Amino acid sequence: MRDTIIAARGLSKSYRRGSENVHALRATDLSVGKGEFVSIVGPSGSGKSTLLHLLGLLETPSSGRISLQGRETSWLKERDLVKVRRGSIGFVFQQFLLLPTLTVEENIELPLLFSRKSVNKDRIAGIMEMLELTHRARHLPHQLSGGEMQRVSIGRALVNEPGIIMADEPTGNLDTATADKIYSLFKRLNEGGLSLIVVTHNMELAGRADRVIRLRDGQIISD
Amino acid sequence: MNIFSLAAKNLMRRHVRTGLTVAGVAIAIAVLFSLLSFNAGYERQLGGELNSLGIHMLAVPKGCPYEAASLIIHGGVIPKYLSYSDLEQVRKIDGIEIASPMLLHQFFKDDKPHIVYGINIEEQKALKPWWKVEGRYFRDDETGAMVVGRSLAEKENLKVGQVLDFGPGKVPTTIVGILERTGNQDDEFHFLPLAAAQHIFGKEGQLTTIAIKVDDISKISAISKKLEQIPDIQVVTMTQVMGTIMNLVGSAQALLFSVIIIALFISAVGIINTLIMSVNERTREFGMMKAVGASGWDVSRLIVIETLIITLAGCAVGLTVALGGSKLVEGFVRGVIPYSPGGELISIDPFLILVCIGFALAIGLLCSIYPAIRCARLTPMEAMRSDLE
Repeated sequence: MRDTIIAARGLSKSYRRGSENVHALRATDLSVGKGEFVSIVGPSGSGKSTLLHLLGLLETPSSGRISLQGRETSWLKERDLVKVRRGSIGFVFQQFLLLPTLTVEENIELPLLFSRKSVNKDRIAGIMEMLELTHRARHLPHQLSGGEMQRVSIGRALVNEPGIIMADEPTGNLDTATADKIYSLFKRLNEGGLSLIVVTHNMELAGRADRVIRLRDGQIISD
Repeated sequence: MNIFSLAAKNLMRRHVRTGLTVAGVAIAIAVLFSLLSFNAGYERQLGGELNSLGIHMLAVPKGCPYEAASLIIHGGVIPKYLSYSDLEQVRKIDGIEIASPMLLHQFFKDDKPHIVYGINIEEQKALKPWWKVEGRYFRDDETGAMVVGRSLAEKENLKVGQVLDFGPGKVPTTIVGILERTGNQDDEFHFLPLAAAQHIFGKEGQLTTIAIKVDDISKISAISKKLEQIPDIQVVTMTQVMGTIMNLVGSAQALLFSVIIIALFISAVGIINTLIMSVNERTREFGMMKAVGASGWDVSRLIVIETLIITLAGCAVGLTVALGGSKLVEGFVRGVIPYSPGGELISIDPFLILVCIGFALAIGLLCSIYPAIRCARLTPMEAMRSDLE
C-alpha cells in the first residue's frame, strides 16, 4: 500500500455562467498514492481539468477538502497556498505558457526566482540534459518545436523538485509521435519516484499510466 | 536572472508600445521641467536684471501706481512729473549716495515705440559702472548729442557720428556713442543729456523719476520712509517693482500653467490606459507565474517595477530633451508672456530635476497600483482564464 500524496473528499465546483448554474464537478472523492501515475480522461466538459486545477490548488473548490502530503489545505489563504504549490507541485499546461523573452534555460529557472532559491547551474544543466534540451539552452521559445516547448515546460515544473507533477492536456497541441515521446518522458520520471496526474482525452496515451480515472458530467464513472 | 531583468525583458517584448509609452512620459516630463525651470529662472533673472539697474529705489510722483513704476524701468511713460525742488529735498536726506534725476519720453517711429532717457551722465556712470561706450559719452551741458543702446543701433543700423532729426522739432542730434551690449533693457534706449531731452520734448523743469542708490542697503526701509514724507513723492523699491512685474506676467503664467496641467493630466490618463491594457493582456501569464510559485506580492512587484522602468526611462528622456531644447521652449514662452528678462531662463536646477523624478515615480505608482492589486488578488486559474478587459 503506497502512502497518499494527495486526497480529496467531497470535492465539488460550481459557477454561474449567465443565468445558468454550472456544476463542473460534483462531490468527488479521490486519492493518489506517492509514486503513482494517474491519467484522468473524459469528454470535453466532463470536469477533468477542473478536478486537476482543484487538486493542484490553482482554484478554490465550492465545497470539499483536499489534503496534500498529509496537510489539510481547505483553510489556507492564497498566500499560504502559494508556498504549498511552490514546494510540492509542478504544473505543465497544454499551451506551454513559456515567457517568450526568456531563453530555454531562463524559463526553466523561472520558479526559482519566485521561491528565492539560488540557481544551481549544474542542476539546471542536468534537467536540460535529461530533457534533451542542452543544445537549445540559449534559444527563445519561438525558435523551438512544440515538443521542445513542452519539454521546457516540464523542466520548469521539475526545477523546484516537487513531489507531484500535474499536467493539463500536455499533448493536446502536439503530433502523435511527439505526444508519445512526452508520455515516455512522464513514464521515466514516474519510474524515478515522481507522482503524476495527467489530464488527457487521448485514451491510448492514458492507458500507459498506472491508473485511469474516467469522468463524465463532473463525476468519476470508473477508476 | 532577477526580478529587474525579468521586468526589462518583458518590456522589450512589445518594444513599440513601450517606446510610445516612454515617449508619452518623456513629453509630460519635458513640459513639466521646462515650465518649472522657466518659472524659477524668470524670477531669478528678473531679480538679477533689477539689480543690474544699479539702483535701490525710485522716487516717482505721488499717485503713480506700481505698475507705472515698473513701466519706468522698461521705458514706459507716465503722465505725472516731479520737480527740481523735489530733487533737492531728496538729496538732503542722509544715507543717499546718488539721487539721479531722469526724464523718460516715448515716441513712435514706423509704429514702433522708442524710449528716450534724459539723464545726468556722470551719475548714471556711477550707478552703472559696467557701461562702456564705442565713441564717447556726451557731456551733461551738451546739446545735439546722444548715446544709443547696442540692440537699438543694430536694429536701426545706427553708426557713431550719424546725425538724426530727433523729436517733434526734428532737432539734428549726433550719435556720439553706442553703448557696448549690457544684456538688459539699456540696449534698447536712446540716452540724451537731461536738459537737452527736457528741451526737445517741451518738459523743461520736469522729471519723470529720481533713481536712488543708498550707501547701505540695510537703510533702504528707513530712507524710503523719509522720502515718503516729501509731499509729491512716492517711493518704489526694486523688490516692489519685481513683485509688480511678477503680477503683470502672473496672469499669462496662470493661463500657461492651466494648459500645461490639463496636458499633463491627459498624458497621465493615456499612460495609465496603456499600462493597464498591457497588464490585462498578460493576466494569463501572471496566472502561469502564480501556478509555478509566484506570490501575489511577486506579481505586484513585477508590474510595479515594469511601470517604474517605463516612467523613469521617460523621465530621463524628457529631462534630456528639455535641457537640450531649452532654447526653443524659452523662445516660445518669451513670445507668450508680456515681459521677460534677458539671460538664460532655463537652467539645470537639481531641485527641479528631483521634482520631475518624483512626478515620474508618482505617475508610475499611480498607474501600476490598480493592476498590481487586481492581479495579486486573482487565483492562478482566475488569472489564466481572464479575458481582456
